[in-house]
Amino acid sequence: MLRIDHPRTAHPGIAARAADTDTTGHIPAQNWKELADAGYGALFHSDEDGGSGADSDAQVAAMEALARDCPSTYWSATVSSLLCAKLIATYGDSTHRPLLHALISGRRLAAFGVVETAAGSDAGTYQTTVRPASPPGSAGPAGTGFTITGEKSRITNAPNADLAVVLARRERAAGDDGPDWCLAFVDLHQPGVHRYAIPHMGLRGMPWGGLVFTDALVAEADVIPVPLDELSEGMTWGWLLVSVAAIGIAESALAASVAHAGSRVSFGRPLAHMEGVQAQIALSRAEIDAARLLARRAAAERTAGRPARSLIAMLKIYATEMAVGVTERAVQIHGATGVTAGHEVERLYRDAQMNVIGAFASNRLRELVAENLGLGPAVYAPFDWVRSTGLAQDPVGLNGPSLEGT
Amino acid sequence: MAIPIITAPTDAATRLAGPLVPLDLGGGGLSAAETCELLEAFGEGSRDPGLGLAAVAHAVLATVPMRAFGTPDQRRHYLPRMASGEWTGAVSLLQTQGASLAPTVNAQRAEKNWILDGTVDLVAGAPAAHHFLVIAADPDGERTAFLVDRDTPGLQVEPTGSGAMPSCLWGRLTVDSCRLGDDAVLGTPRAAAREVEPLLAALDWVFTCAPWIGVMRALLGDAVADARDRHRFGRPLAHSQSVRLDLADMAVQCELAAGMLHRAAAEFDVGTRSGARPSYEHAATTRLFTAAAVRSVTAAAAHLHSADGLAERAHRDAAFFAATGGGGEVLRAVVAASVLELG
Ligand SMILES: Cc1cc2nc3c(=O)[nH]c(=O)nc-3n(C[C@H](O)[C@H](O)[C@H](O)COP(=O)(O)OP(=O)(O)OC[C@H]3O[C@@H](n4cnc5c(N)ncnc54)[C@H](O)[C@@H]3O)c2cc1C
Repeated sequence: MLRIDHPRTAHPGIAARAADTDTTGHIPAQNWKELADAGYGALFHSDEDGGSGADSDAQVAAMEALARDCPSTYWSATVSSLLCAKLIATYGDSTHRPLLHALISGRRLAAFGVVETAAGSDAGTYQTTVRPASPPGSAGPAGTGFTITGEKSRITNAPNADLAVVLARRERAAGDDGPDWCLAFVDLHQPGVHRYAIPHMGLRGMPWGGLVFTDALVAEADVIPVPLDELSEGMTWGWLLVSVAAIGIAESALAASVAHAGSRVSFGRPLAHMEGVQAQIALSRAEIDAARLLARRAAAERTAGRPARSLIAMLKIYATEMAVGVTERAVQIHGATGVTAGHEVERLYRDAQMNVIGAFASNRLRELVAENLGLGPAVYAPFDWVRSTGLAQDPVGLNGPSLEGT
Repeated sequence: MAIPIITAPTDAATRLAGPLVPLDLGGGGLSAAETCELLEAFGEGSRDPGLGLAAVAHAVLATVPMRAFGTPDQRRHYLPRMASGEWTGAVSLLQTQGASLAPTVNAQRAEKNWILDGTVDLVAGAPAAHHFLVIAADPDGERTAFLVDRDTPGLQVEPTGSGAMPSCLWGRLTVDSCRLGDDAVLGTPRAAAREVEPLLAALDWVFTCAPWIGVMRALLGDAVADARDRHRFGRPLAHSQSVRLDLADMAVQCELAAGMLHRAAAEFDVGTRSGARPSYEHAATTRLFTAAAVRSVTAAAAHLHSADGLAERAHRDAAFFAATGGGGEVLRAVVAASVLELG
């Protein structure tokens, strides 16, 4: 009978180095080599785009397998070879093929810079701007290039990426009625780019930090005007990748729990014989399955090119919060071992929380799902409707106002 | 008394009565996956969890074991009439959990006959049923599945009220020295524990979820309409973020539970990736998950007031749904047994 239809270790070396990757905050070069040899990035792309054109189930399985082996490596590699590469494949043209191939093959690493230092959930706060290069001449033939200025922050791969796909405002010349926004493919090895790392709670091996652009140069072909609405469909690759990270983390936490429950003896028998432990394990099993099934469905829709924004938003809300619950149970099942620095479930517990925030936090996505249910767009108003109802005041005590002040 | 939706002689009702009966026996010839969709739509359209359960009890719980283990004669005798709705079959929801509950019906071998004695409660569809699927235990504890016709001497059906799902029509079945021939045995004698019982359990875990997916969708639709219509603090509820976030979570639960159900149902058509049989673990996780989803969706919808009182009924029936199929205690143990390879 089948029990296990979820991936096991696909990259034993990467899995064996996961604890070190977390402790040192650095993804070993050997990880990159093994991923390149395995053709990981190629899975997500069609033959025409230089990929191997895996079907959506195979893609999700490969993603989850890597997420199980090492969530940090998974995040870094998948942001580059799936998310950034999809954006380049979608919005770039033939001049970007070498770049695309470099990302898919893992020869170069990309970051996706959207969020800045202000509220990441609100695109209205993004300031980074692309403007025509002036004086003319800098990035190619006179006057044809652009510069970019601004600060992107809390960006995966920012500290070490070769390239950033950056969402920026467009400074439009008179008569240009194109979109307000663009994607800029920015070479990060140039003087106008400064970067910094931000220490973080989980996914510590994943490079994370900021990119400061000060009149950094961008070639004309690398600035693609895009309406913000349309771009959000592209961002769903990001939500999907984070959801699968959560599922992989949860599955690893469950596997660790099962192993521990089978070997740790308490009251004369392994913990696995305790119904309280069983209940936690059964619940985790059911919840992970539910998330994975939705992930497969969402990935199939997205891979087929159908709009799947709402479905992937639902997935991200559930899968990421589910993994927080599953890792919490795993820590509990492990007892003090689970809260010991360096233990697998301690690491997974820290990693899980990162997914709830990264690439649009849960409640921001719930708003989006609500809108798609037919409730209309979110309505943001100053919170001023309680006082007028009389509910926000202390009532009198049992004896009424007569004794007050005595 | 009859269950109108099952016996009404329209095309659609025929399909609801016998979706899983093969075409050559007069049934709908639907796959398990298609049957699930039908039951989901029925739950959503009827807005009645009890009626949905009645349909499942007859068209799935009473039908599939016969299709799977019946002799050619049994299949020819019962299934065409079950598919047309002329006869309905009934099963006790206390007999869909293997031997986790002590048996309440005894079987004695007497010459070439079997003598059945005992009582089973919570028989879904009993008052209208033409026959019953009953599991009985030998003196040595081995269990056998029987098809017991309503007109068997010694058989009595007492309609019982039920706090929940009243439209399912409940009853208590008593067999008092009921004499049955070998042709009433379903499957191998004394082998229910490895034949009919695991099947009944998985069918209950999976298919009773299907109407609930539809009921949850109906509640979600009601909740969205309500949020559009009503005001609080002088603002439309649709502007209230707490309402919006709750509705989003309801929608998420519907999708997740449907995904679980579709996997488990499809396994009855094609087996799993590594075997021809459906996975009991998947069936049990489906029920465990869906019961929780139904509880949370009905709780979130409890404030709704529709003319047909769906929210109140669903809230009440959800508690019942979560307690049947073994409830959390059985389901968690079953899932844990599979995951831990113990038990
Ligand atoms: C691991 C990780 C990787 C990341 N990688 C990248 C990357 O590669 N590229 C990139 O651009 N960014 C990246 N980010 C940044 C991420 O996209 C933002 O952190 C996220 O969008 C939330 O923005 P914020 O942190 O500024 O929180 P805020 O926007 O300040 O939100 C804080 C809280 O308020 C809630 N909230 C916000 N708005 C609403 C609303 N309308 N209704 C209800 N609640 C609301 C949120 O749900 C959240 O819980 C990453 C973040 C993490 C944690």
